[in-house]
Amino acid sequence: MTVLDSTALTADFWAAAARRELVRPVCRDCGHSFFTPQVACPACLSEDWVYRPSSGRGTVYSATVVHKAPSPGFTVPFGLGVIDLEEGWSMLATLVGDRLPQIGSAVEVTWVERDGRTQPAFAEATS
Amino acid sequence: MNLSGVAVVGVGVTPQRKRSQRNSLQVALDAAKLALADAGLSHTDVDGIAARWPGPGGTELAPGSADWSTLLGVPLDWIGDSYPQGVPALLDAAGAILTGQATTILITGGQAGVLGGGQVASYTRPGNEFVEPFGAFTAAHFALVAQRHLARFPHARRGAAEIAATIRNTGSANPEAVMHGRGPFTADDVLAAPPVVDPFTLLDLCLASEGGAAIVVTTLERARDLPHHPVVVLGAGMEWMRQQYVDPPRYEQVWPIGRRAAAKAFGLAGLGPCDVDVAQLYDVNSLEVARQFEALGFCEVGEGTDFALATGIGPDGKLPTCTDGGLLSFSHIGWGAPTLKIAEAVRQLRGQAGERQIPGAEVAIAAGAGSGAQYYNLALLGRAR
Repeated sequence: MTVLDSTALTADFWAAAARRELVRPVCRDCGHSFFTPQVACPACLSEDWVYRPSSGRGTVYSATVVHKAPSPGFTVPFGLGVIDLEEGWSMLATLVGDRLPQIGSAVEVTWVERDGRTQPAFAEATS
Repeated sequence: MNLSGVAVVGVGVTPQRKRSQRNSLQVALDAAKLALADAGLSHTDVDGIAARWPGPGGTELAPGSADWSTLLGVPLDWIGDSYPQGVPALLDAAGAILTGQATTILITGGQAGVLGGGQVASYTRPGNEFVEPFGAFTAAHFALVAQRHLARFPHARRGAAEIAATIRNTGSANPEAVMHGRGPFTADDVLAAPPVVDPFTLLDLCLASEGGAAIVVTTLERARDLPHHPVVVLGAGMEWMRQQYVDPPRYEQVWPIGRRAAAKAFGLAGLGPCDVDVAQLYDVNSLEVARQFEALGFCEVGEGTDFALATGIGPDGKLPTCTDGGLLSFSHIGWGAPTLKIAEAVRQLRGQAGERQIPGAEVAIAAGAGSGAQYYNLALLGRAR
């Protein structure tokens, strides 16, 4: 199984994930939230950014179901989506639940274990 | 000299296979030899190369193309580690020729001995830490774009299946295609095939296969002394939006990708979509063909599948598309695949495409990449006057 690299830029994201906290980079100069983590804010190019907690609540921007395992270790079918978080940033993540979220669904973060690591997934919001 | 003073004078396509017994370097060399022989040139005539070093062995970091000076046994005046091949490499070569850096440039590449069995091809699965854990791969990124489009234009699903069936049937009739003899397929066959990633089934999606592809590029002036009727670069354009297959694509941004590149290409050529005789679009999936008709200005957004059906994109249609069977049926060889589009365009424009020749082909599109990749490029190629 692939050992995933956590670079200096992203180690804190995965450390927060291990505590089941979703965080995203926020620029301290212009306030822009962005993802994936970059060396500088893509809005103003400032390197002065920090990880801040996200509510983990958002809307499904797009959703699909994967029927062919991309590599060993995946059980198909599974949901995959792009989630627009309410703080104005987006991420790719697995979609989970008895009823898979669709485009436009309100979702909230949940946590799954894979390859010995805790990673975010999104399910239909319960409230 | 302007862009149309640059000519493609040699094309080389090795046998394309699901799995090859050779390696990537060998098929790149095979393709290079074929392209040079086609051009009536020797490897000692080459003074520039865009090929990286496909491995195994060799320089691991750029500029890997420099390694070819050892293999070819000739000093080189120019190298270009273009990514990918196809149009970006062609434009790099054209720039080198137009600025007097080189006169005869070889572009070669492909993949062989790299594909495993029974899973999604490794080169379509970025090892990124925000991609791999979620199970994403290249076709899934295209699917995430397609799902947004189909939510807007549900009728395009069946139209896309018609497109896949048409292109696959074109490839079925081509003895050189990996999927030669497979089919014929109907839209219902495409819709009923095993699902891979919604909305796409196995028959909506391109192959992952093995083989090499090469072209030789030089000046039109020199091309006039070579064996074949020269094919020149009438216009071209590229767009690069975002890190491919890592940042999730946004439908509103990437569905039109190629519009600016096409405007540039058609502007340089002094032509419009109605002047195109054959379209070697980048058919990584069925819906992506429809998307290109929209983005490139053949029709309005949402009308791509209707345009394809009404116009006819098979060999007998008004706009034959992917005339070798495309990535869906002919072959897809990773970063070398875009060169296959140029090779087929050149063969059609020379009138040397054999049984699949489209009569009177004067202007062709050769394209690369697409919405899910978040970059796009195209060239307009034409018979020199």
